[in-house]
Amino acid sequence: MIALEDFCVSFGQAVALRNATLSLARGARLGVVGESGSGKTMLGLSLMGMVPDAARRSGTMTVDGVEMGSASEADWQKMRARRVAMVFQEPMAALNPLRRVGDTVMEPMRLHDGLSRARAQARAVSLFEEVGIPDPAARLRQFPHELSGGQRQRVLIALALACNPALLIADEPTTALDANVALRITDLLVRLSREREMALVFISHDLGAVSRATDTLVVMYGGDMVEQGPTAQVLAAPLHPYTKGLLAARPDPARSGRDASGKRRRLPTIPGTVPPLHALPAGCRFSGRCSVEITACALQRPALRWADATQAAACHLLTGGDA
Amino acid sequence: MTAPVLLEVRGLTRRYRLPRRSLLRPGPVLTAVDNASFTIRAGETLGIVGESGSGKSTLARMVMAFEKPDAGQVLFQGQDPHALSHSALRQLRQGFQMVFQDPYGSLDPRRRVGWSIAEPLRAMGEAGTQARTAQALTQVGLSGQDAEKYPHEFSGGQRQRIAIARAIVTRPALLVADEAVSALDVSVQAQILNLLMDLQEDLGLGILFISHDLAVVAQVCDHLMVMQHGKTLESGAVTEILRGPSHDYTRSLLTAAGVTP
Repeated sequence: MIALEDFCVSFGQAVALRNATLSLARGARLGVVGESGSGKTMLGLSLMGMVPDAARRSGTMTVDGVEMGSASEADWQKMRARRVAMVFQEPMAALNPLRRVGDTVMEPMRLHDGLSRARAQARAVSLFEEVGIPDPAARLRQFPHELSGGQRQRVLIALALACNPALLIADEPTTALDANVALRITDLLVRLSREREMALVFISHDLGAVSRATDTLVVMYGGDMVEQGPTAQVLAAPLHPYTKGLLAARPDPARSGRDASGKRRRLPTIPGTVPPLHALPAGCRFSGRCSVEITACALQRPALRWADATQAAACHLLTGGDA
Repeated sequence: MTAPVLLEVRGLTRRYRLPRRSLLRPGPVLTAVDNASFTIRAGETLGIVGESGSGKSTLARMVMAFEKPDAGQVLFQGQDPHALSHSALRQLRQGFQMVFQDPYGSLDPRRRVGWSIAEPLRAMGEAGTQARTAQALTQVGLSGQDAEKYPHEFSGGQRQRIAIARAIVTRPALLVADEAVSALDVSVQAQILNLLMDLQEDLGLGILFISHDLAVVAQVCDHLMVMQHGKTLESGAVTEILRGPSHDYTRSLLTAAGVTP
């Protein structure tokens, strides 16, 4: 239902998103992982048609077969009401503190669907039930500060669902939440995606949450999609050195503790830091930090190579030779 | 050959009175920290895990003597910081320092980072701040020249290194790290956790490590304390708790961290 091909977003010389290519079917659940500055939020904003005005866009994006890559803001507004919706990281910042949460959730229904107050309220109650908010009628009258972090995130999900979107983009939806609550919100998004046959794009730096929530995965670094494939397969057998480094850097109780000499075991790290957008290397974005780098890496950009029918990575070493 | 006890906390309790709901009655009382006790030895790390509102940050603030307990005692190297005079407390403070979660919020954006790092030294009227600032920067893997730069010139991970440099510049014996790696990306988090382990081995630091992420705590801690609603649910060696958690809440934290006991 939504497809990107060679979609790029750049600010002057700085390329925030380079040749993004992906397609999403109804009910598909796609995970996007990467660290700050990897371009994952820009990918989410692109799918929402919310790329900043200052940016230059190129490539194509089609939503339900309609070309939206260079669509106007007015066209996007209609699309956003009906087809795509977004859930953000910080539920407190995304809700108006001076409005009752019910009014916030009812607003798009009244605006876009022209529902009466009573009908909108009835629908808000059923949405609150659907996202697992207890005692929905009473909650509608509460203000954001009266709700817990998890409840607020549920309200935002209800708000995103208000106009029955076909695609829900969740940008770090669990990052600001406690571990237990994060787990429940992740499961809620999966359930909603299944029940409503709604496509889900789950953007996160939390590999655990992504593996729980999605069936396909895109790994991003420096604005490039460096690896993609079925989530379980990518996490179990990563191809790209960056994906491997990211997985190894996660604390793992099975590998922690002290070694024979009594020293605490260190975590494997990726050396250095993500360079700023304007200083990214021209070839492979990961060159300079990669542990298996060859001469070609800094000079020439590796193309996406398919290791099998489902998993691909952009790395010169992958095919061993024709780089 | 057990190391000396650095910090001893006995029966620490903190209550807050909530806003009153009726004119006729005083507001209800919330016990933020209820009878918490633990010890930390030199070179050892104690982890405290719990969700937001579990009282772990209040506990840290009482250890740091930012906040007075309603009951119980903090003993740092045998001295109770809450019982000291203002000037004596200032001297004692050299020995315990804190690293906060947000590397953006804890550095003054208008000051060179060298100024921020030397702040605790100036507060104690110490001389030779420049040399010690440069030394602290080297210890955290930055260079002495970085003292001349401003916070915005650094990445998030580098800023957290700067915050750690500021904490170790007074050569403390104890470091209190409150969600010090929570705001960081996975690869940066790994670098900072390794740095804390390096510093601990080099300087013999005791560390009170507060986090909501059990996997992170298991990586760096010897002992673990699980808190919920101000109460200590369980405490003990990390390996023991990972193997056999005695509370459902701890089990749910393990599940959330992707660990199957």
